[in-house]
Amino acid sequence: MSEEPDFVLLESADGYTFVVERRIACASGMLKSMLDEEAAFEEAKNKTCRIQQRGVVLLKVIEYLAYKVQYADFNTEDITEDFSDRIDPYIALELLTAADFLDT
Amino acid sequence: MSMSMPAARRGKPKIRPPRKNHNASKLSFEEHYRYAYNMVLFKHGDQLYTGVKQLVAEHLDSLAEERIVPAFPRSSGTHGAGKLGGGAEAVERAMEGDRFLKAVKGVWEDHTGSMRKLKDVLRYMIYEVGLTLFLTHIIRSPRHPIHTHLIATLLSQVQLERDGETITRSTVRECVDVLLRLTDDRDGKNVYLSDFEPEFLRRSGEFYRLEASEMLESGDAGLYLRNPILHMPGTGLAPMLDADRIADLRRLYVLFLRVPDDAGRLALRLALRGDIEERGKEINEGTKDEPGPSQNGEPGMDVDEDVKGKGKAKASGGATALASALRWVQDVLDLKDKFDRAFQSFINANPRAPEFLSLFIDEHLKKGTKADEIDAALEKTIVLFRFLADKDKFERYYKNHLAKRLLYARSASDDAEKGMVAKLKVEIGRRLTWQGSLGTADVKIRFKARSHDVNMSTHALVVLLLFDDDKDGEGLSYTDIKASTDMPDPELQRTLQSLALGKYRILQKAPKGRDVNPTDTFTFNDSFTCPLARFKIMQVVARVESAKEREETQEMVDEERRHQVEACIVRVMKNRKTMGHNELISEVAHQLSSRFNPSMALIKKRIEGLIDYLERTADIGTYRYLA
Repeated sequence: MSEEPDFVLLESADGYTFVVERRIACASGMLKSMLDEEAAFEEAKNKTCRIQQRGVVLLKVIEYLAYKVQYADFNTEDITEDFSDRIDPYIALELLTAADFLDT
Repeated sequence: MSMSMPAARRGKPKIRPPRKNHNASKLSFEEHYRYAYNMVLFKHGDQLYTGVKQLVAEHLDSLAEERIVPAFPRSSGTHGAGKLGGGAEAVERAMEGDRFLKAVKGVWEDHTGSMRKLKDVLRYMIYEVGLTLFLTHIIRSPRHPIHTHLIATLLSQVQLERDGETITRSTVRECVDVLLRLTDDRDGKNVYLSDFEPEFLRRSGEFYRLEASEMLESGDAGLYLRNPILHMPGTGLAPMLDADRIADLRRLYVLFLRVPDDAGRLALRLALRGDIEERGKEINEGTKDEPGPSQNGEPGMDVDEDVKGKGKAKASGGATALASALRWVQDVLDLKDKFDRAFQSFINANPRAPEFLSLFIDEHLKKGTKADEIDAALEKTIVLFRFLADKDKFERYYKNHLAKRLLYARSASDDAEKGMVAKLKVEIGRRLTWQGSLGTADVKIRFKARSHDVNMSTHALVVLLLFDDDKDGEGLSYTDIKASTDMPDPELQRTLQSLALGKYRILQKAPKGRDVNPTDTFTFNDSFTCPLARFKIMQVVARVESAKEREETQEMVDEERRHQVEACIVRVMKNRKTMGHNELISEVAHQLSSRFNPSMALIKKRIEGLIDYLERTADIGTYRYLA
């Protein structure tokens, strides 16, 4: 990967667009294969992924992906911050299905 | 719960045809992924699976129809290894074959590309299936004779290249790669191994036999050898070693020596090495299944260390392991024995081996490398030393080098020196003695600027003292110095070099130049300056011996050997009183073999020299010892 941060767009079902570093987006297995440039799907070409989720859920997913990348090289005992504190119970179920779908 | 998902409201998605022509950029990954995801989630996985499989199969069939069948070469029946027709026909064949292989390759790429995309979307289920489908629908297609054509074409391409035609190697390689990647589901065997390799090997064997006989007829040994004769199945190097076919090996070696630039020897060595490693691996694999610690045997010199390690480890491993351990050790020892002999003969084939070995040790003891490194290096030289036949010759060189190291204080550590001597002692059971004909001296020299304390070798001092008498500053010629000191040329040259061409030049040489010649003249450098009150003039150290010195060493060695042979003869005769000629020679040779291998002629000559003390008996060829 080059030093230049490479950005992709993630669009939610209700019309929000998030600009996310590719590095962070690719922490999701599904987004990684979607953006795989060799397979050259439409999304990879346009660098834009439409995700069938509400913006508020997608935002939380992206937040988690960033969290995951940030602590990727840490030992479990060194991580003091618990992500579950940040989750609003009202979207928890939706978030869970989204996470499974996106293979995060 | 799943009813709350938005996707659940969608109807049963339909399966789309696989992406033809790579037009995936118009297709949305997300859409496909979502459909597939939901299908699996709602337990329609098998429907998706069979559907996709069927579509892929259909697609492959149509690809075979459209792209591979039209590219079939006109004729690619199974030829023997005989030369295919030459000239234009061959070129055409090569082109046709190439086109066909390219078509196969193209379809493969297409297919793997599509399968990759499918894999991304459908995840785990599809990639292996894709490979199998490719195998059954393209390579082993029941509808078209692709299989026969492919194998035949590959073989004929190889054949064509051997005949000197140009083919596109990359295409051939890629197609073989394809075969390698495919695995037959039913018996788990690799398609390359089951379909292609046996035929290929048979052809290659045939080809090389043909080639060999042709080349030998034309008598061009070099060309012949450049071919991979070493790896010929059935007749290569390995089977020769297996069967101890010494004569064959000898012929092979002689042949290889003829190849210019040492390339032959290099190739031979490489092949031998590979072979040893291969054998080591085999031995190790033989014991792998057994319980107990596993170890990797290393080829060559480390083998014997390994044997020890392995033996110990295994002994504690339990009763079942014991049998396999014993077998392993025995195997390794057998292997070692076999190669020891080869090793010994080639080491002794180099008459300067003793000198080189000693030089190697010299270098290591001098360098000031880390102690454990020294130890490792020395340990290895000891292994080599065991192979050495002319141990006495080594001893002479070693004495010399050791003396110089000690006298010039160049030795890395006394402990290392002592250790080495101890090691050598164990090997030959004899004390090494050294003589100190080379010493150093401290002199005070007055130059124009100031006086210095100089440490130099005794030889340098002797030379320098000559200039004490040279009051008029005219200088001394090389011949003068030689006449006055009576030093041998190489020694004198080195001494003068260290005085006039070293770091501290207290002599001046005319004419200037890097070498000391017999025509040079030397003068005392009165204007010499140096910031140090005390300094040391290092003797230029002789590296490898000059030819003359070597001759001298050889002479000394010979002289010593004469005495040893005589002493040995007397010893034997004193013991046995009467003895047959041949018996005596073999006994003497045997007793001396721990130090060197005396020639028959040498022993005979020494017996003649001792004839005053021996008496020929009436029985011809028998001697009696006279006290």
